[in-house]
Amino acid sequence: MLKVDHASVFFAARDGRPVHALDRVSFEIPESGFVVALGASGCGKSTLLNAIAGFLPLSDGAIILDGRPVRGPGADRGVVFQKDALLPWETVIDNVALGLKFAGVSKSERRARAHELLRLVGLGEFAKALPYELSGGMRQRVGIARALATEPDILLMDEPFGALDSLTREQMQELLISIWDRTAKRIFFITHSIEEALFLGTQVLVMSPRPGRVVARFDLDFVRRFAATGDARSIKSSPEFASLREEIRAILHSAEDLRSAA
Amino acid sequence: MSDLVQTTPVSSAVQRPRPKLVKMVSFGLGEKPTVAISVATGLAVAALWWLVAELDLVPNLFLPRPGEVLTQVGMLYYDGYAGASLSEHIFASLFRIVLAASIAIAAGIPLGLLMGLNRWAKGILDTPIEFYWPLPPLSYLPLMIIWLGIGETSKITLLVLAMFAPVCLSAQAGVRSLPIERVNAARSLGARPLELFIDIVLPSALPEILTGVRIAVGIGWGTLVAAELIASTRGIGFMIMSAAQFLATDVVFVGIGIIAICAFAFSAAIRFIEAVLVPWKGKL
Repeated sequence: MLKVDHASVFFAARDGRPVHALDRVSFEIPESGFVVALGASGCGKSTLLNAIAGFLPLSDGAIILDGRPVRGPGADRGVVFQKDALLPWETVIDNVALGLKFAGVSKSERRARAHELLRLVGLGEFAKALPYELSGGMRQRVGIARALATEPDILLMDEPFGALDSLTREQMQELLISIWDRTAKRIFFITHSIEEALFLGTQVLVMSPRPGRVVARFDLDFVRRFAATGDARSIKSSPEFASLREEIRAILHSAEDLRSAA
Repeated sequence: MSDLVQTTPVSSAVQRPRPKLVKMVSFGLGEKPTVAISVATGLAVAALWWLVAELDLVPNLFLPRPGEVLTQVGMLYYDGYAGASLSEHIFASLFRIVLAASIAIAAGIPLGLLMGLNRWAKGILDTPIEFYWPLPPLSYLPLMIIWLGIGETSKITLLVLAMFAPVCLSAQAGVRSLPIERVNAARSLGARPLELFIDIVLPSALPEILTGVRIAVGIGWGTLVAAELIASTRGIGFMIMSAAQFLATDVVFVGIGIIAICAFAFSAAIRFIEAVLVPWKGKL
């Protein structure tokens, strides 16, 4: 269980005044939970992810993963970045195997394991390629395989599909769901796309900026339905999906209106 | 509806004219090749030299004929210059450059990386480096002679000092350009500080370091002639300076030509190393 408990973050603005980036955010990610933080830019969702990853200390509150408080980055939390952050000088397979190398796994063993993961994300034939030879979507697949390689307790994904075209994006969403379904990993996922949040999350946290906070939560089962049926179109075109989409859109817009009125 | 999807079959048997190939309009140089222009310019300069010398527009003492310079190459090759063969002169210069470059690289890369990573290292080393590196090497050459004598040590030291700064500064720049995502990714994959340094920081800084090495070697050749002013009996720089005193302009020309060829070869070698080590440079 990942438990985020009243997490608050204040940054220093340029003039030294504190900026309230994250305001007492609390939520839990249970076993095989898929939690999506949804919001416009500046709502603190990346701040939240950076805190869970251990890249950013909290001003107040706590983040506890399986009973241990999070202090700094670690291989128990795999991170997939918005920009792929692959090593451009390593081949695809060695990028995937990077975490295993740090863990002291022998070269032949980590290559074998990395190959398995590359097949899982559908890139078995690109093991020897260099990252710059791949498309954006393929690079993100490598990023996912790399994050999975160390068998983390949770996967943290920072708008991983934000830079992809909408067709590739849908393919990646479906790939991610199949990985989630097969590995039963916990996932914390950030997006600014309402549709993506609804389709992927078992729970969606709707966030609003200044200060960054959770303004609404939805427990959903579209993702489980997709995992069972594999029919994305009927899910996304269902009246239930559409009405939730409009409801969340209204929440995000009213938060925006409040902000501009203030 | 069906008439809307009617399109011309792609593989029609009709012989179509070759399509006009177009490209986005580029700004500046773009991808237009320049090699032919450069070669033509070189040939034009050589022809101009030959013409000016042949027509005696300039006294022969100032500008020898191309043929004379070529003859001089042969004479220097067979007879040597000032008691040493041409290859001994070339070897002496290459030895100094290569040794000094090795020392400058071996010291400049780790110190530069350290300065990019550590506040104390940056604070302490910035003072001497920022003070000395803008100085022209010729200005502290007398000090080298006074302190280190007229042997190889002062020459090598002068060259090391001249080449150290660009390597060190480029290694620092390499660390500064390291994207934080790359560091964070490695950390969240369990990298310890030493692994972070060897597997992430060093290779990330490599493109900048190689650029620094290329600049350093260029500066090294520039400083070589100055270094070989110090009571030398060997070296291409010495040969040029000594020949100049006897107004042996053709020997000076040969010396300049040899340095140009060597410097070009070094530069090409480093470009080759870049192509092998960092094929991804500028692509990601």
